[in-house]
Amino acid sequence: MSDRQQMNDLIDQQRQTISELQTPVIQVWEGILALPIVGSLDTARTAEMNETLLQRIVDTGSEIVILDITAVPVVDTAVAKHLLETISAARLLGAEVYLVGLSTRTAITLVHLGVDLSGVVTRTSMAKGLEMAFARLGLEVISRRGNRRFSADTASEEDAY
Amino acid sequence: MGRVPIVRIAGTLVATVLEDLHDRDALELEAELFTQLERTDSDGVILDLSVVEIVDSFLGRMLNDIASGVRLMGAQMVVVGIQPAVAITLVELGLELKGVRTAVSPDRGRLLLRKLVADEKRGHRRAGR
Repeated sequence: MSDRQQMNDLIDQQRQTISELQTPVIQVWEGILALPIVGSLDTARTAEMNETLLQRIVDTGSEIVILDITAVPVVDTAVAKHLLETISAARLLGAEVYLVGLSTRTAITLVHLGVDLSGVVTRTSMAKGLEMAFARLGLEVISRRGNRRFSADTASEEDAY
Repeated sequence: MGRVPIVRIAGTLVATVLEDLHDRDALELEAELFTQLERTDSDGVILDLSVVEIVDSFLGRMLNDIASGVRLMGAQMVVVGIQPAVAITLVELGLELKGVRTAVSPDRGRLLLRKLVADEKRGHRRAGR
């Protein structure tokens, strides 16, 4: 086998591995789906992600989808466009989409690029998105110690116990 | 011919599309819905598209038009059961249907519709003061 052939085989194998590392759609609660996106988004990947997500929305009858972009290294115009496509498609099925995991850098990039996310609910962390989703479904998380409401902001200090 | 039956249940018009809609069917549906809204005392419309598998830009635009028309006639509309492939096509056509409210199932649609109608009435009362 020539070096070239070996190289091609390796590339094919890696492509296969990468496509297997698709974005999982997790049902975090009845009516709430979460989608942690890891790595960058291109057209092919978005198409695949949309298909999986939309089918899951229909299958589970979920009303809320939380898209977590914490692990997306760079959100540029192209990635933002793909995210907006996903959000619009999910909305057409009747699900609300929250975009969470916006970092300072992402926010700065989006603002400087002039990407309009005004119609999208955005939050900085998955916890805040989940809290909002619970509120939307009329649920709340209550601490067993006392009757204190449990929110995304108190989550970290509560963990210290 | 894809005629769309429209039934009225407790003040809500329910239109269930039974097969893929052609241009003329969509126009007829629009006219029929508006006629029913004019003739009956209905404040909401549920449009069930769960069997629709094919949409084009015309139908996408029609959905927007129907939603605007329903609002003009003083009612609210919720579209239910849009299939994933249909949603993807609409988005690819650049038709995000921002003016159309949607729900996952007819049941959810009914709840959303009642909420929209209640909000609308509350808004009017406030505006009337």
